[in-house]
Amino acid sequence: MLSYIIRRIIQAIPTLFGVTLVTFIVFNVVGGDPVYQMVGKGAGQKEIDALRRELGLDRPLYQQYFFYLKQITTFDFGRSYATKQKISQMIKEGMGPSLSLAVPAFFFGSILGIIISLLVALYRGKLFDRLTVVLSVAGMSVSVLAYIIAGQYYLAYMSGLFPISGWEPGLRGVPFLVLPGLIWVIVSLGSDVRFFRTVMLDEINQDYVRTAYAKGLGKYRVLFRHVLKNAMIPIITRLVIAIPFLYTGSLLLENFFSIPGLGSMSINAINSSDFPVIKAITFIGALLYVGGNIVTDICYALADPRVRLK
Amino acid sequence: MNSGILRYSTYSIIIGLIIAILSIGCSQRGKSLGNVYRYPMVTRVKGFDPALGDDIYSHISIKQVYETLLQYHHLKRPYELVPLLAESMPTISEDGLTYTFTLKKGVYFQDDPCFKGEKREFVAEDLIYSIKRVADIKTKSTGWWIFDGRIRGLDEFRKESQESETTDYTRTVEGLQAPDKYTFVLTLTQPCSQMLYFFTMSYTSVVPKEAVDHYGEEFLNHPVGTGPYKLSEWRKGLRLVFTKNPEYRKEHYPSEGSEEDKEAGLLDDAGKELPFIDTLIFNVYVESQPQWLNFMQGNIEVTGIPKDNYNQAINPDKSLKNELADKEINLNINPSLDVTYTFFNMEDKTLGSNVHLRRAFCYAWDIDKNIKLMFNDRAIPAHSPVPPGLVGYDPDFVNPYQKFDPALAKKELEKAGFPGGKRLPTFEYLSNDNTTARQWSEKFVKEMGDVGIKITVTSVTWPEFLNRIKNKKFQIAGMAWSADYPDPENFMQLLYGPNEAPGTNNANYKNATYDKLYEELLKTTDDEQKSLIIKKMKDIFAEDCPWIPGVHRLAFGLSYSWVKNRKYNDISPGNFKYLRIDIDKRNELLKGK
Repeated sequence: MLSYIIRRIIQAIPTLFGVTLVTFIVFNVVGGDPVYQMVGKGAGQKEIDALRRELGLDRPLYQQYFFYLKQITTFDFGRSYATKQKISQMIKEGMGPSLSLAVPAFFFGSILGIIISLLVALYRGKLFDRLTVVLSVAGMSVSVLAYIIAGQYYLAYMSGLFPISGWEPGLRGVPFLVLPGLIWVIVSLGSDVRFFRTVMLDEINQDYVRTAYAKGLGKYRVLFRHVLKNAMIPIITRLVIAIPFLYTGSLLLENFFSIPGLGSMSINAINSSDFPVIKAITFIGALLYVGGNIVTDICYALADPRVRLK
Repeated sequence: MNSGILRYSTYSIIIGLIIAILSIGCSQRGKSLGNVYRYPMVTRVKGFDPALGDDIYSHISIKQVYETLLQYHHLKRPYELVPLLAESMPTISEDGLTYTFTLKKGVYFQDDPCFKGEKREFVAEDLIYSIKRVADIKTKSTGWWIFDGRIRGLDEFRKESQESETTDYTRTVEGLQAPDKYTFVLTLTQPCSQMLYFFTMSYTSVVPKEAVDHYGEEFLNHPVGTGPYKLSEWRKGLRLVFTKNPEYRKEHYPSEGSEEDKEAGLLDDAGKELPFIDTLIFNVYVESQPQWLNFMQGNIEVTGIPKDNYNQAINPDKSLKNELADKEINLNINPSLDVTYTFFNMEDKTLGSNVHLRRAFCYAWDIDKNIKLMFNDRAIPAHSPVPPGLVGYDPDFVNPYQKFDPALAKKELEKAGFPGGKRLPTFEYLSNDNTTARQWSEKFVKEMGDVGIKITVTSVTWPEFLNRIKNKKFQIAGMAWSADYPDPENFMQLLYGPNEAPGTNNANYKNATYDKLYEELLKTTDDEQKSLIIKKMKDIFAEDCPWIPGVHRLAFGLSYSWVKNRKYNDISPGNFKYLRIDIDKRNELLKGK
């Protein structure tokens, strides 16, 4: 397995190299010159030239690209154009709030999704199944923005059940995370349940399930012991691939609930054309995605003995 | 697993969730607040380096900790300069070149590890260091333009800072002298009637060299000033907390103001020691909904009115809705010192050479509809660059081309040599790629199309937008300008020839008479004389139509009645040291929510 992992890591290098090249072209070549935005409104040509020199933007593109490669290999992404803060520090500070929302919401949502889809599979064709499918489709069709605006207005402002917005570190932060977490779960539940239900129904119609019932096993034992285990490959694929993206939290939820995470930082960076921050987040996202893919493959082997990593 | 266990687990989870939700809700109610002022910010602040403080929220944050030589009088309008770190207003030599400031004695910087336990007094050398720091090219200050070419020897200092590896701050600058600890002498290269305003801006805040050296690149996160507050917490992207500086010198609430101020209770605290509030909390709300809801729930003291909530708060006659007035909310309407404008690239062969064509554009633009649709009626048409509230603004001045008249537009088009728009090339309207700009450009395309002018819109990112404007690679675009200081020169310079791109004259407009008048304006200190010069400049501007004048915006703000001493300041907002909270009233009103 070790040689497989090493081989996959080596294979990932060209992918990451491609990502760096694309982000560099998008932001350094066609994204516009950041100097005019940074230099202030009263600056003349001398100031513009001086700042361009200071930022190294007067150097040939290949030199700028090598500088960017140096930044990402050392994880020193320089300073933000907009906030002037160290980007590595910004990411470090933003990751905690993002994960504090994303991780519990993701796991709670996923477990709930799996449980509901198992029950739906058990009662397939009955009212509960049909109702769940209808609710899932309806849930998926409504924009997350609608949930946020309505949730914040009715559950936080009108009823006072939750704080309208905010964030605190540690356990003090729990009250602030319940409503955005709830919205996250509701939003993800629709598509999760529909997907997991399909996977479960595929499995539940297999011969081994019929055999298990014929041997006299109870329905919950069949469901949780046999069906769930065999349905894990597509479920793992969906869940593990999503994990790397948890680090950026949720762009909209963080913005609306004033959670100072990477999602809100990304939106801020996009709004202010803060290219170094966007490049850093994109690269780290790509890195985690590639890493997530490798972890997914390893999980396949752990979940299903038929899968061999070569 | 049997069905019983599953059922009980599900019930337990549901009951647990309900209890948790209810307990959270209960914990949020009934909190009583102390002497705290809670203020909303719509973006993250850049940091606390005054040399970089070019945006409004950085300025507001910086001024709680740092101070400048001068400030604007809290109550007097038109804006009037008064001393802050200076003992009195400076004496100015007859030739207008030498300014002598006497500084306050016994002003100390806030305690900080950079001073190694010593108390550190503010002296004239600190001011000289702070100005040199803005001039130092390595600081990358956005404020160099206020000193550029104006102070004797400072340009040479800047040049040397560019050429050498490390900047020599001991190098003498002729125009910056400190004959003793409490005297600062500034010598200019030529008279500049705006110079005193620069000493209220964040860029000229006094910073101690020890702090800059001690914190290095992280100086922007460690403010060490002489101001009324100290930064005690900064959770980036969430909130800033300032606490009263215990070592703050004795500063007092102003005793002079107008009759109106007196009636509004703005002189009730006259002569009392500042600041009144113990803790300032700046909360960041990137989206308008949480800011609005938090205000309505009494979680912040003030707010602007988001476009989407305007009709909820304001009646068609621009008065406050009863539901809000019943909650002890006050509405404040104040003119902003700004102007929005659509400008032509005067170096474009077709647009720059044909005044009738430009006039056709002006007549085709429906400004009233624009004010209604884009500003919720919160703006007035601009007839010149000068906004109300400044010398040179004349409410009776009418720009003959600031008028929606499609028939006249067609006539001008005919005079321009393009009857009905025939043979007229399609023009490019350069737009930023945000929603408002897109809506704006759609309206522009439609209205120009109605008179026969064909427009194509190019939407680009903000950096690319600036890149194209500053490199003169555009035909028509739109922008806004807010005052840096309350002098009409700050607006008239937007059309001064030598300020062409990449300077602030984005239209690249050149008119020798206008330029001459502008140069005269720079040297003039007499308001009446200024008004006369500006009148002539406005006439030239109106006839030449380098812009389609836009609007001067009106700032609509809401605040709870428990906030006392609040007076709108558009030039230098964030005067929280004057504010007072009626704590009992707030707690009583919040209890009822």
